[in-house]
Amino acid sequence: MNSGITRRQLLQRTACGFGALALHDIARAASNPLADRIPGMVPKAKRVIFLFMAGGPSQMDLFDPKDFITRRHGRKIDSPLRKEVTQVGTEQFLALQAMAPVRPRGGSGLMISDLMPHLATVADDICLLRGMNADNPQHAGATLQFHTGAFAEVRPSMGAWVSYGLGTENSNLPSFVSIQGGGVREYGSAFLPAIHQGTKLTVPLDSKTLPVENLRNVSENDAIQHQRMDFIARMNRRLAGALQGDANMEGMIQNMELAARMQLTTPAIVDISKESKATLDLYGVGGKETDKFARACLLARKLSESGVRFVQITTGGWDHHGDIRGNLPKLCAQTDQPIAALLKDLKSRGLLDDTLVLWSGEFGRTPWSQDLSGTAPIDKHGREHQPESFCSWMAGGGIKGGLTFGETDDMGYRAVSGKVHIHDLHATMLHLLGLDHLKLTWRHLGRDFRLTDVYGEVVREIIA
Amino acid sequence: MKTMSTNSLRLQFLIITGAGMLCPWMPVLGAVGQGNAFFESKVLPVLQQRCFACHSHEKKIQGGLALDSRSGWVSGGDHGPAIKPGDVEKSLLIKAVRRVDDDLAMPPKDRLPAAELAILEEWVKTGAPDPRGGGSPAKAVSTIDLKKGKKFWAFQPVADPKPPSVNDKAWPLDPVDRFILAKLDRAKLRPVSEADRYTWLRRVGLDLTGLPPTPAEIKEFVDDRSPQAFEKVADRLLNSKAFGERWARHWLDLTGYADMIGTSNSVFAEHAWRYRDYLINAFNADKAFDEFIREQIAGDLMPAKSTEDRAEKIVATGFLMVGDIEIVNPDKAKMETDHIDTQVAKIGTAFMGMTLGCVRCHDHKFDPIGLVDYYGIAGTLRSSPSSHKMPDMGVWSTLNSTVLPETPAQFAARKKLENETQQRIASLKADQKKLTDEKTALAKQLAALGQADAPTPQIAATDKYALTKRRDELDAQTKKLGDTIKHAEFFQDKTPRAFAMGDGLKPADMPIYIRGNPYAPGAMVSRGAMRVASWGKFTPIPEGHSGRLQLADWLADKRNPLTARVAVNRIWQKLFGTGIVPSVDYFGARGDLPSNAELLDHLATRFMEGGWSQKAFLRSLVLTRTYRLSSANYPAAMKLDPDNRLLWRMNRQRLDAEAMRDSMLAISGELTRDSGGPALVLENPENCGALALKGVNPPNYSHKAPRPSQEFERTLYLPVFRGSSAGPDRLRAFFDFVDPAMTAGQRNQTIVPTQSLFLLSNDLFRKRAATLADKLLADEPNELARLESLWLRVFNRPITSTERDESLAFLGGVEPLITTVKGRPALESIKWRELCHSLLASNEFVFRL
Repeated sequence: MNSGITRRQLLQRTACGFGALALHDIARAASNPLADRIPGMVPKAKRVIFLFMAGGPSQMDLFDPKDFITRRHGRKIDSPLRKEVTQVGTEQFLALQAMAPVRPRGGSGLMISDLMPHLATVADDICLLRGMNADNPQHAGATLQFHTGAFAEVRPSMGAWVSYGLGTENSNLPSFVSIQGGGVREYGSAFLPAIHQGTKLTVPLDSKTLPVENLRNVSENDAIQHQRMDFIARMNRRLAGALQGDANMEGMIQNMELAARMQLTTPAIVDISKESKATLDLYGVGGKETDKFARACLLARKLSESGVRFVQITTGGWDHHGDIRGNLPKLCAQTDQPIAALLKDLKSRGLLDDTLVLWSGEFGRTPWSQDLSGTAPIDKHGREHQPESFCSWMAGGGIKGGLTFGETDDMGYRAVSGKVHIHDLHATMLHLLGLDHLKLTWRHLGRDFRLTDVYGEVVREIIA
Repeated sequence: MKTMSTNSLRLQFLIITGAGMLCPWMPVLGAVGQGNAFFESKVLPVLQQRCFACHSHEKKIQGGLALDSRSGWVSGGDHGPAIKPGDVEKSLLIKAVRRVDDDLAMPPKDRLPAAELAILEEWVKTGAPDPRGGGSPAKAVSTIDLKKGKKFWAFQPVADPKPPSVNDKAWPLDPVDRFILAKLDRAKLRPVSEADRYTWLRRVGLDLTGLPPTPAEIKEFVDDRSPQAFEKVADRLLNSKAFGERWARHWLDLTGYADMIGTSNSVFAEHAWRYRDYLINAFNADKAFDEFIREQIAGDLMPAKSTEDRAEKIVATGFLMVGDIEIVNPDKAKMETDHIDTQVAKIGTAFMGMTLGCVRCHDHKFDPIGLVDYYGIAGTLRSSPSSHKMPDMGVWSTLNSTVLPETPAQFAARKKLENETQQRIASLKADQKKLTDEKTALAKQLAALGQADAPTPQIAATDKYALTKRRDELDAQTKKLGDTIKHAEFFQDKTPRAFAMGDGLKPADMPIYIRGNPYAPGAMVSRGAMRVASWGKFTPIPEGHSGRLQLADWLADKRNPLTARVAVNRIWQKLFGTGIVPSVDYFGARGDLPSNAELLDHLATRFMEGGWSQKAFLRSLVLTRTYRLSSANYPAAMKLDPDNRLLWRMNRQRLDAEAMRDSMLAISGELTRDSGGPALVLENPENCGALALKGVNPPNYSHKAPRPSQEFERTLYLPVFRGSSAGPDRLRAFFDFVDPAMTAGQRNQTIVPTQSLFLLSNDLFRKRAATLADKLLADEPNELARLESLWLRVFNRPITSTERDESLAFLGGVEPLITTVKGRPALESIKWRELCHSLLASNEFVFRL
């Protein structure tokens, strides 16, 4: 059956999905060479759940209020922007205070807004990073940087790197799943072998939605599809035989069988109806605001529990340029309960210890207000993008719970201590997984590429 | 230089300490010795603790600055000397620790404690006494050794090796075959036998045009026993429009082409299609490749033969415009630098197989390319700005566009169209007025109903209901009409434009941007090209010119060692599956070596001597014996050369997304042949959002309402969107379409289960199968003839008896399973759809052998 495809080529071309039993040896092969490269590193986390809040949640309203701003609310402050930088709708430079009280929570006193009452109950489990910073002030670029480390070039996403570094724990499942994923590059594998690209999963809210595209049988019934597949398989085998073997064709033949199995098994994997009522209620399944995100979070737990290395959930709507007072509470209401439930559920199942949960947007928002209409009262203002500083949090997986790390300047514009760049976050995440970000490389066009490019330092202060 | 500056600084140091009598620090520090003591006890610990991790020879030397020796800070890093002794305000080190500038705030993670900051300030103020000797300044010295670099194979002049002699004199049909066979002889490998005529015809059809042969074409070729049979096919294919459509798409893979600008907000690139059509025409007209290069870099600066020719040459520069560039960066300087970088990198990869993008920040780590080379090319592009800020559109910029010259006939046609639009707008506005008038009248009536002198309440209630209903209708109509008018007005100017390059007002050399940062200019660099691939001095750039024309000439010169090699290797890869240099986009030190260096040079020479004609070159390649070989394996060869590096057989390739979709449409008879023009359906108001000339965000596009014809057009005519998987066809998303932000000469060939689901269940396959089934049923009443025809159409070969038996068994087996329809025609239709779908989803269709 060998047709002269090298192992590397095979890895580049072949990938598994649900029920990829036949290809699990490839997944193992992908992780093996790496084992030699990371001697002595003991992983604290085995898997990651990444909750991506697309649009850029406002750190000032949620986690990092500033007296300086509160005292000047509605009044003009000095612009810290470089003169070459243009912003629109912020010309008045009015201070905009946090819209709801942000209070110390739990034993640790970690600051969380009243808008996130559920998260407040697990404050001692999370580590708040207040000195996050990134390089690109626009959604597309910043989102790519968060997911891939690079905001312009096409690079593998972090889930793909983790999959490449660790392989899969469960060969019946893909190692990387993107739930309600955004752009393809956010879960793409770029030059890494395609086996590491994220499998896109849609949470079915009704019986018509397919969790995976093209999952439906289009023949009139299963018996006909069976005949069709049988016929195809016979033709394919005959051709491969005549050619005396072809690894690609062989892969296609196996995938045809896998595809049929996926039709059968995927609905069960995404089925949450067997969960207890207590669990469903904990997440807020069926809740008016929470239903959709609750299902996504519950699915993330199910997948993590089953051994998926990297689960990424994307939820948008955090881009509050206007009326943040009206809009931010809605987003919090949709996500707060499901996220807190996820942490509690993982903890009660003993999974939080080795599951790293990461919550972040692609950037934060300015301490000064933005009003694109130019006529709205301060109550209806929003905030502009801010990569210079923002907040993310991590929990579980070897992270110090209850720790607040990093601080911003008086105004809340720049991080001044405990700065964590996206590259540092990536380095730390890999470190917790037992991977050295300097050694996890892939050669492409002559260069050894890393998730952290030529940057990144492990933030040791936040590791338990 | 270094010694001198050190000396002069020493002098300065002495003078300062001498004059220090007046300085308030003197009572404390007094003399040099005390200064040194202060350094040892106070300053050095701070440097060690806070700075050495990134600025010392033992750890890292970030930004070129070392602080573990005196000479380190004296010569300084990328930004120059780190300390000006005695001058606290002007010392970069102090600026950095005071965090004056966000780009230069140190230490990077945490602010320096106030006490330590004071120590450093004291130290600098007192002249920065530093007794440490030895050490070497860390400042990066260019490590590029051009002389040595030129010895690398890719930078050697292209040779014209003699075709080697071979044992089997009858086998070679072309000198290419002798190069191949000689290598096989040496490895003691026999090539496999030729593929049959059916296989060759399908192969050459798919490779040259992306479409399979028709049953008539198959018959003609198989029956043609003349010695010219193969040539006739090659000529027919090369002269078909489909040829340009196929090869233009290969070229687009190198450009990052999309029908949107950048990645944010789906901003439509309404002129991008012109560049795509330019490429199709260029391939079909067999434009000489050197001219093709020149036009794409500097077409706007070249003399033109006619108005059409001038327009075409302007459009050609779209090469540098269509890639993924960010247009929403609030920082214009950074944005411009990123644009230039995209262009430099694209030129490097597409034409030279060099990763120039690496050199934006530092000399290339592996290849002899220095900052001087990068900024020499970048200066040319900076002299031809390609974007500008959009007035009244906040932080947004847009690509520059150029008005294209028109012939009198084109001008007249355009004016006519514009007049019609004006009339349409006028008539729409008249309608709008009628509606508004009626609304006003209605409003009055409604208001009157509420008055005291209204008729009886009974009548009023009925009236009010009817009137309110009518008012709501009018509101909806007015809104729709308003949108239509806004849309018509937005697009009423039909002046032809293209995203194109043009020289700026002040073409000039540019400085090196230290670490790629536009706010850190370094030494000025003369505009030029890559020195290691140069054969002499760069042609002087006349005053007031950008230098693009000179760069274009340099790229298209026969003496350029890379251009022809890279080009023929790309073409070879498309035909034979693997490049002679397998890393088609990278010919550098860490790339692959050519598997047959003599053949590569022979091809490069042949290409150039043939007047850079791509058609002639392709024609000769598809007529070689090597191209005729079967793709089947045999055990002995598999053992000796499992990767088929020596080409003892043809490489099998899976069809790319375009060939797969287009072939299906051709087979089902649904393919539309007369396409071209705008890919975006901008004429449909439903697809256009935020159509205002002023606003926060620019107008955007969503492909909600495609043109009905788009379902049947060749895939290259469909719009390409960036960053999202949403598109008019899903096939590209699943089958390795190039990311429209990359320059990638070779598509991936991934094999994932979701592709199998696509083949089994996607509508695209299902619909083609249904059309094909009904067509066969209508054309061929006889079942066996129908099977014959099906095989000829889908696999382009006769059906075998086994396959015939299996098919009949399949049809018979499926029939009783169908329960939803009754009656012969409906049953037949479903049975045959299942069979057609099976063939389309099989490997023999999805691969080209």
